[in-house]
Amino acid sequence: MASYPVTVTLAVRMPWLNRTGLVIVVFAITNMRKETEHLAHSKQGLRAGDDKTPRSSWLAISLVLFMVPVCMDAQDAAKFFEENCTACHTIGEGPLSGPDLKGVTQRKDRDWLIRFLRNPEAVINSGDPYAQKILQAAGGIVMPDFPEMTPALASALLDFLEAESKRSAPEPIPPQTPIPAPESSSPEPPAAVVEISDRPFTPQDVEQGKELFGGTRPLANGGPACFSCHGMRSFGGLGGGRLAPDLTRVYERKRGRKSLAAWLSAPPTTEMRSLFDSRPLEQEEIVFLVAYFEDAAKRGGEAESAVILGFFFLGLGGAIVALISLDAIWKRRLGAARESLLRAASLEGKS
Amino acid sequence: MPITFMQQFHFVVLPYLVMLIFFLGTIFRYRKAPYTYSSLSSQFLENERHFWGLVPFHYGIVTVLAGHVVAFLLPRQILAWNSQPLRLYILEITALVAGLLAIVGLVGSIVRRLTFSKVRTVTNTFDWIVLSLLLFQLLSGVYVAVFHPWGSAWFSAAISPYLWSLVRFNPDLNYIAMLPIGVKVHIIMAYVIIGIAPFTRLVHILVVPNPYLWRRPQVVRWYRAPKEVA
Repeated sequence: MASYPVTVTLAVRMPWLNRTGLVIVVFAITNMRKETEHLAHSKQGLRAGDDKTPRSSWLAISLVLFMVPVCMDAQDAAKFFEENCTACHTIGEGPLSGPDLKGVTQRKDRDWLIRFLRNPEAVINSGDPYAQKILQAAGGIVMPDFPEMTPALASALLDFLEAESKRSAPEPIPPQTPIPAPESSSPEPPAAVVEISDRPFTPQDVEQGKELFGGTRPLANGGPACFSCHGMRSFGGLGGGRLAPDLTRVYERKRGRKSLAAWLSAPPTTEMRSLFDSRPLEQEEIVFLVAYFEDAAKRGGEAESAVILGFFFLGLGGAIVALISLDAIWKRRLGAARESLLRAASLEGKS
Repeated sequence: MPITFMQQFHFVVLPYLVMLIFFLGTIFRYRKAPYTYSSLSSQFLENERHFWGLVPFHYGIVTVLAGHVVAFLLPRQILAWNSQPLRLYILEITALVAGLLAIVGLVGSIVRRLTFSKVRTVTNTFDWIVLSLLLFQLLSGVYVAVFHPWGSAWFSAAISPYLWSLVRFNPDLNYIAMLPIGVKVHIIMAYVIIGIAPFTRLVHILVVPNPYLWRRPQVVRWYRAPKEVA
């Protein structure tokens, strides 16, 4: 009798799987012949151990879980653009703090653009003339570095930009057209950049920034204070958080007030985004924070690392005190129940 | 940063799985074997070292667990409390003291169970598994507290929203995707411990005899046969 393999294949694409597809394959093979034989023998009253007894029917189920990486598609790129780029860029609506990206794929070749997308600062620092030009047009704001920018994502973004540019304008901008300067056609650059561009910071700004950093003055939209995760030299006896980078020199790292303000208005890292996308910093708060960071950078130095030990030893000391207290509180712990027994025992001895 | 399959497994599938096991397992055990629903006492077998295991461990672990639960339930209040560095430090040092007390107590318990043959006899495999997992979890917790401060702040800011996203059946891993490996291991081990809890002595957490705290003292009298006295 022939066997009847049964194969069940289930493909499940779970809605919460972001860029991964999960395919579950359930492979079940039942040997129908043996099943039938087994049933027949059972009816005859044959027992296990009898050499004629067939092995019980078997059911092999194997679960194969494997990942199918879903390729970057236009939808991903559009989503990424919407979430990360629109704070500083438009497609055909004029420059904000970054250039208008309409027709960008015709202004510069793909290799260069991918290189720039993956590490803007490196391209600028390499002295590339075109990078210098756009840096100047952006008022010195360096585009933030996106840690998740893979070549595939960069390429998908460029495809997206190319398609969007064609859609918004049938005649593409000629390659030789220079990028417009921000002042020329821009309706209005982001407020933080405007407000922060000229006036020198006052000590009050620095003080307010310090309060925002530590949390004494809560962030207006409910975001956690910087201090939760970031350290800062000479702030608080045991320092700030160490989950995220020390911010003592962030002003230098992010290349000055404009870049830092742009970075804070649309933070590009996953950690910052998860916390501040839904509760963004107010423009005013950004000004105060940048003032504080500038002041900190002037003072210089790095956060002390000895505070880790200090914290640990405070805890250890506290634990020792607690143990001594527990011992003292239950000083009579062995007495209460035993005393009477011991007394009785000693009486027994005497009598 | 795309969220990987392993992250999906550890921080979405695993928590739901262990919660299911926890609920079904605790109910099942209560119905099938109600008389095992406790933590077998060994105080009668050895009473002096027992104090140094039991007392510091329980004061420590109850404080630490309460801290985690409060940060989960009231993250805003914790962040508001933390808005003065001094208050943050007081909270963190208290938590660290409790964590260290729990470690002292747990190590005390493990040593006691290894040294005293009577107590070792009543210690089953699941007890050893629980003790090892708890020791690992406490050590990793103290490691995280010391090397990734300030836990009370970023727990409220990031872990709490992540846990609430699980409660709402709309998991959001962006909050925790980039956390340091030590924190992730601590979270995963917490899920594992919840998952095995129904099959171990940990079920005593669900049947704490709270009325002992306020009931009237009971006088225990020993009855001895006259011949013993004589």
